[in-house]
Amino acid sequence: MANVSEPVHSAAGAGGAGHDDHAHPSFLQHHFDTPAQQFYASKLGMWVFIATEILMFGGLFCAYAIWRGLDPDIFDQAHHFLNKIMGASNTIVLLFSSLTAALAVRSAQVGKRNLTSFYLVVTILCACIFLVIKYFEYSHKFHLGLLPGHCFGHPGLSQAIQNGEEVGTCLRVHADSAPVMPEWVRAVDEEGHVTVLPPRANMFFGLYFVMTGLHGLHVLIGMSILIWVLYKNVKGTFSPAYFTPVDLGALYWHLVDLVWIYLFPLLYLVGKPE
Amino acid sequence: MSAEHTHEHQHETLAHDGDGAVHVHIASTRFYIGIFAALICLTVATVKVSYYDFGQANIIIAILIATMKASLVAAFFMHLRHDSLFNTLSFIAAFLFLGIFILLTNDDLGVRQHDREGYVQHISQSTGQEAPGGEPATSATVDDVAGEAPRGGAGHEKKE
Repeated sequence: MANVSEPVHSAAGAGGAGHDDHAHPSFLQHHFDTPAQQFYASKLGMWVFIATEILMFGGLFCAYAIWRGLDPDIFDQAHHFLNKIMGASNTIVLLFSSLTAALAVRSAQVGKRNLTSFYLVVTILCACIFLVIKYFEYSHKFHLGLLPGHCFGHPGLSQAIQNGEEVGTCLRVHADSAPVMPEWVRAVDEEGHVTVLPPRANMFFGLYFVMTGLHGLHVLIGMSILIWVLYKNVKGTFSPAYFTPVDLGALYWHLVDLVWIYLFPLLYLVGKPE
Repeated sequence: MSAEHTHEHQHETLAHDGDGAVHVHIASTRFYIGIFAALICLTVATVKVSYYDFGQANIIIAILIATMKASLVAAFFMHLRHDSLFNTLSFIAAFLFLGIFILLTNDDLGVRQHDREGYVQHISQSTGQEAPGGEPATSATVDDVAGEAPRGGAGHEKKE
């Protein structure tokens, strides 16, 4: 790994602040002695928060591990209904957005304000692309009736929603009638095979929707944070001496990427290939 | 690597710098692009590998590659490589406790064999409504324990 380091001594000359830096820079809060102390305290806080985020997703990963262990065949069959290509595209979009987020931090560290803005905008655009791809995936599954819980396999669900019926009632009525399985299980999966899914495959789609849904929520929150950072950056709040919000916003964004790095193989790729 | 280290010692130190200003290691744009390229390669690899069947090893391979990618992101994009060691520890501790969480839950499941069968059999064929946890845990535990040595627990005391 012969990486080219480019160490920059970032303390002096912070946006023309000169020696104010040492006296009392405007960004330094009163309960900190030095900018460095403030910076590392913020970073530690962010990392502890990231740890709690991992544990929050951890509950879902645990559920995944348990249900997969109980019923690996269902996961095998059901995961063929997810589109690998869309999943991989979203992975690449998120990895690229992580790159631009890292570059936004780097630009802030070296004091290139416009470049920081540019990278932040690219990152936010990538988040939008991710959500658009996710929208197509979700609507495809809604259409097939591949839904969590007792909504699973309901062929008329989308129709019922369109007709403005109350979905809960509609399902209960449906539950009393003859088995609905044969009507819908002949759905063709992403690779063109006709797969028959038993009702308990709802667990896979339950996990799929909750895990990707919680992740999608994080994408939205991450976007909001980055938009706020972008606004602050355009206003000129940041300098090589003070770029903490850019750094922490990017850390949050990388966390979103990290979670997806695990979600993608666990949901889309694991299982026997056909 | 050695060249990089010398730079670090000059510029990237956490507490030893006397002036109290923020000093961080700043990697080059090219370096970040290199990390991105590695991440893309690993993504392509994990997708390619998914078209082959290695049986039980499928999930292990997938998680290994994902962990390699996550390590690259955490070490370089998230700057852990040049950050305070304590931040790395906080991060790793999360995975440690996640591991404990999953292992203990899995262990608990081992004594609930009966529930597992109930889950598969008692489910409604038309809707799947009776899914997980429908069976009260007590009914299963009593049956399970009938043939075994009595275990500690409030529920079994009245049988004795």
